[in-house]
Amino acid sequence: MEEVPKTGFSFDLCRRNDMLSKKGLKSPGFLKTGTTIVGLIFQDGVILGADTRATEGPIVADKNCEKIHYMAPNIYCCGAGTAADTEAVTDNISSQLKLHRYHTGRESRVVTALTLLKSHLFRYQGHVSAALVLGGVDVTGPHLHTIYPHGSTDTLPYATMGSGSLAAMAIFESEYREGLTRDEGINLVTKAICSGIFNDLGSGSNVDVCVIEKGKKEYLRNHLTPNPRTYISSRGYTFSKKAEVLLTKITPLKEVVDVIEVGGDAMEE
Amino acid sequence: MGDSQYSFSLTTFSPSGKLVQIEHALTAVGSGQTSLGIKASNGVVIATEKKLPSILVDETSVQKIQILTPNIGVVYSGMGPDSRVLVRKSRKQAEQYHRLYKEPIPVTQLVRETAAVMQEFTQSGGVRPFGVSLLVAGYDDKGPQLYQVDPSGSYFSWKASAMGKNVSNAKTFLEKRYTDDMELEDAIHTAILTLKEGFEGQISGKNIEIGVIEADRTFRVLTAAQIEDYLQEVE
Repeated sequence: MEEVPKTGFSFDLCRRNDMLSKKGLKSPGFLKTGTTIVGLIFQDGVILGADTRATEGPIVADKNCEKIHYMAPNIYCCGAGTAADTEAVTDNISSQLKLHRYHTGRESRVVTALTLLKSHLFRYQGHVSAALVLGGVDVTGPHLHTIYPHGSTDTLPYATMGSGSLAAMAIFESEYREGLTRDEGINLVTKAICSGIFNDLGSGSNVDVCVIEKGKKEYLRNHLTPNPRTYISSRGYTFSKKAEVLLTKITPLKEVVDVIEVGGDAMEE
Repeated sequence: MGDSQYSFSLTTFSPSGKLVQIEHALTAVGSGQTSLGIKASNGVVIATEKKLPSILVDETSVQKIQILTPNIGVVYSGMGPDSRVLVRKSRKQAEQYHRLYKEPIPVTQLVRETAAVMQEFTQSGGVRPFGVSLLVAGYDDKGPQLYQVDPSGSYFSWKASAMGKNVSNAKTFLEKRYTDDMELEDAIHTAILTLKEGFEGQISGKNIEIGVIEADRTFRVLTAAQIEDYLQEVE
């Protein structure tokens, strides 16, 4: 943070791209990854929640990925959008926060993480496709923020982001109230994520939850697994009772061949 | 570094083949407050005198022993402001290494990179060598390690070392007392006794600093109260 980055996004090729698209060249599209991420403030701190599906278009790329990223011992961040962007940006800012902690000798504040993230995203003019829900507890209390890819932020008591955000927000809007207890908060977050998992194609698999309170945090990986993976039965394949076995013939696929060494001369080139 | 008028190196060779500026830098180190380090079989201890220029200075605001990474700490002898610059650079380098390789930086690597910075300042335009020697204490997969880095950029691994005002007496004392199978508790006592040897005035938890790292790989600076306990044990 001592050095101000001298370059951000390079606009050099924008005019060329514009000219090409006017001539009819289709520009490559962005890979969107669906997600449901949520956060809420309860009486003792912040609870973050996320689904665990990573998609590549219509294909599920990762059935159990981690979307709740570590920023500082007291701050975590959920990421929606392009997975590489969310991971790189949270990693980068987490590193900067660590150096800041060494230099100041103090616990990191949520607003510090917020400002570092939003400055970074604004510098890249929305091309870093990361929509984040940032939550943590510091000396000034519990905080929850949403950060949009272009660099704008909101400070909210409850927030949702990602393709499943509307499904999750529906749950929050009807059931959120101030002063929730820890268990009530976890249940509400789980319910909101499940709503996203079951009603949005881009979200699925399991629910991850992270509870941050003053002085402690709990990362509940796979807190709920409502979509267990069923594998092929190990009992093997059997015919149904109606089928009658008339003939059994077994042909080994691998031929067993005896090798007899003659002479014993090694191959010579 | 520096504008065009000072693009030549100010550290130049003398006819006898020495770099006089570095010799002078070592003299600056030699007139700094005594600091020492001892590598035990299960950890490392580094310690220094903390003599403040006046009783009016708030001693709680001064911390000479600094943490570089969770498992590496450093103490210096010489010019305080120079050491701050090196500490800042080292912390950044450690963090960059971690970002690149996703593993904590090994002690030798961090020492090497810090030494490289110090060497740069003996061969660049418009700058002077650092007026500090550092004692880097760390614990990684290779076990406990203690390194000394000089203003020239040379570094050595030591079993026990001392720097600053009382260096010759302190080293003689350490040579006599050091054993290869020393444990950390013994090492801390030996460190205190060594400091006491050349100490002017009454030694207490407020005018010395001690940093330790053990098998738990967490570097920590002892509080004044903890130092007082060790002082009492030594009495």
